[in-house]
Amino acid sequence: MELHNKPIITIRGLEKSFGDKKVLKGIDLDIYSGQIIGYIGPNGAGKSTTVKIMLGLMGKYTGEINIFGRNISDGNAEYKKKIGYVPETADIYDNLTGREYLTFIGELYGLDHDEADEKAMRLMELFGLKEVYDSRISSYSKGMRQKAVIVSSLLNNPDILFLDEPLSGMDANSVMVFKEVLTELASKGKTIFYSSHIMEVVEKISSRIILINDGQIVADGSFDELKKKSMEGSLEEIFNDLTGFNEHKDIAAQIVSVVQGV
Amino acid sequence: MKDFRILILLDKFKAVFERFGVDYSIMRRILQVKLAMDERRVPTVMKDNSSKKKSDQSNSIAKSLLFYGVLGIMLVPFVFSKGNYLFQMSFLFGILMFMMMTILISDFSSVLLDLKDKDIILSRPVNGKTLSMAKTLHITIYMFYITFSFTGPSLLISLYRQGFLFFMVFLSEIILMDLLIVALTALLYLLILKFFDGEKLKDIINYVQIILSIALSIGYQLIGRLFDFRDMMNISFVPRWWQSLIPSMWFGGLFELILNNNYSSHIMLFSALALIIPVLSIILYIKLTSTFERNLQKLNDSSGNVKVRGKGFNYYLSGIFCRTKEEKTFFRFAADMMRSERNFKLKVYPSLGLSLILPLIFLLPKFKNAGWESLAQGKMYFNIYFVALIVPTILMTIGYSDKYKGAWIYNMLPFDDAGYIYKGTLKAVIINLLVPLYIFESIIFMIIFKGRIAIDLIIVFLNIILFIAICFKILKMPLPFSEAFGVVNQSQGLIIIPLFIAISVLAAVHYFAAGISYGRYIYILLSVIANLYIWKKFLDRKTILLPYEDEA
Repeated sequence: MELHNKPIITIRGLEKSFGDKKVLKGIDLDIYSGQIIGYIGPNGAGKSTTVKIMLGLMGKYTGEINIFGRNISDGNAEYKKKIGYVPETADIYDNLTGREYLTFIGELYGLDHDEADEKAMRLMELFGLKEVYDSRISSYSKGMRQKAVIVSSLLNNPDILFLDEPLSGMDANSVMVFKEVLTELASKGKTIFYSSHIMEVVEKISSRIILINDGQIVADGSFDELKKKSMEGSLEEIFNDLTGFNEHKDIAAQIVSVVQGV
Repeated sequence: MKDFRILILLDKFKAVFERFGVDYSIMRRILQVKLAMDERRVPTVMKDNSSKKKSDQSNSIAKSLLFYGVLGIMLVPFVFSKGNYLFQMSFLFGILMFMMMTILISDFSSVLLDLKDKDIILSRPVNGKTLSMAKTLHITIYMFYITFSFTGPSLLISLYRQGFLFFMVFLSEIILMDLLIVALTALLYLLILKFFDGEKLKDIINYVQIILSIALSIGYQLIGRLFDFRDMMNISFVPRWWQSLIPSMWFGGLFELILNNNYSSHIMLFSALALIIPVLSIILYIKLTSTFERNLQKLNDSSGNVKVRGKGFNYYLSGIFCRTKEEKTFFRFAADMMRSERNFKLKVYPSLGLSLILPLIFLLPKFKNAGWESLAQGKMYFNIYFVALIVPTILMTIGYSDKYKGAWIYNMLPFDDAGYIYKGTLKAVIINLLVPLYIFESIIFMIIFKGRIAIDLIIVFLNIILFIAICFKILKMPLPFSEAFGVVNQSQGLIIIPLFIAISVLAAVHYFAAGISYGRYIYILLSVIANLYIWKKFLDRKTILLPYEDEA
């Protein structure tokens, strides 16, 4: 895989604190184009924080981040032209129609109105949302909204895609289409940064898995490499193993007993 | 999406914005989207009658502008007489600044502190300065709409009465004033954002907002009453150094300078301040604005330290004041929500402060004219009824919440009786908000009027409790915390009138009963009975049922 000699993202010694609580304790990463990176970790491990810092949404960190070969700390937002982002809690201006919202986002990326409109319409059609393109987003179901957010992140033909739990609410058919899209995009040299708690999906689509726990990277490699190292069969088990969690049966038994106790 | 006229006007200043490092075409697009969304925001009060939805949307803005226009007639006298421009115009600007500041803080703070924009817009190639400028302009546009409707009548009259020069000075000062207020408020938030983060930050912003609106409304009440306006026009002006700290004096000064050709040093100083300070604060704001967006993220940071709380005082209170278990539950729910819902506090606490101070303010004229002794002997203690003004405000607010979507839990309840919910909630309001307020006010009144009014204070309290039940019946509250805050109180404006009549009648009967011997004791007895009966009738089990989802 790693024929590309120059990484598209490099992170060195990234640390971030909220108050006196340290969330990221030194992250070092090199990411090359064409990779689908499964970025996983328990709740509160620092996944979203890393992504938000890379997108310049969070200030004040220590360490260095280079994206497309440029240090992003200078406040110049130009590098985001080639980045797409699907946040975990996908906020959206939902009293706009699909057309209005998506053309707006397209224009923020520097496309002109008709270009963005054309592209958004075709993508929405392919996602099965042609009929609601001119309806208010507030009338969409959860899955439809999620698709609209995904479309908005693809309008600019991004070289890097940050996806945070992108499949939530989507039906099985759409999930299948989207996973295929990701693989295709990666083969075209796009980099995909994929955070999720659904291990089966991450296991299948990722060419490289990075596991972060308590603000540090605890595993980094392809699924096969991780499997060899930890002697476990599935990513879920590797995850449990590496985050030091093995009492799930015990806890489940306790939960059931509490439930029945009331 | 339609192109707004205001944006075409804005295009004329394109070069100015670009000078400050703003990406004009992007900013314009953001503004266009924001304005389009505002037009579509259906005020919650119109939600039910979906038939007239469409036509009402843009009307609701027009309606409130008309309201400000009518209100603005009260400014006309200030531009009518000639000569003493310094005083009359400082006064006018004092009122104007008070109004605009209050509106800005209570209605537009949320726009300034919005985090949604950040994820959607800043994750795209847009620099923070551009977004900040778009947000600020978004607010400023509304500020201008409101200011110009409010000052519209006086602007027109001034053109006719005082001539073109006056009109021009007036117009440009209004613009300067709006800019000053927006920039100052933003700078204030910036300062707070610098030092705090997370939930604490939200609390502090909330308290600053509350304190500011209390200070503003009390100051407004006091100034109106302490100065006799007719005297004011004839006062000869004595310059003092502290006057240069009052922004409205600066604006008055500029009139004096230009129209009366008064070149004395303090007038020169005022006029200079009127021009320099707004421009300076705008420049400062623009310089700092990208820090603003970055620091805004702190609103979402969690610092981690959480205090472990026990059951809390309200657990025991609910046990004392509620009989059924369901009622207790909703008592505690309402108490918790009132304590933690910032928007509720922002809407209610200023009125709490005002209803605390209003009864005392109305004592002032009597005190000034007749002195302490005669005040303490008199019947002015009936002023304490003004405390009841808080009741409609609370009841009108308590049906709304920022987190109104959580209200789906009402559909999950294993009983169909909404009486429990309302009863628990109203009791929580009484115990948590009204009683502390009333006790505090009573102590002050006891100090002024001595122990003889103790019985009357009990009667007043009983009447207020009765009044709550009446308000509840007339106001038709939605389920507690179940609807989105919007243009909340607009349609309910007129309903206030029968409520005022109701409390006035109660007060009048009390006044009459106080005149006859033993009248007050009989009144207490009757009032207790009336309370029990009315509360039972209006709020008892099965009188109100929970609405089904498709009705709600």
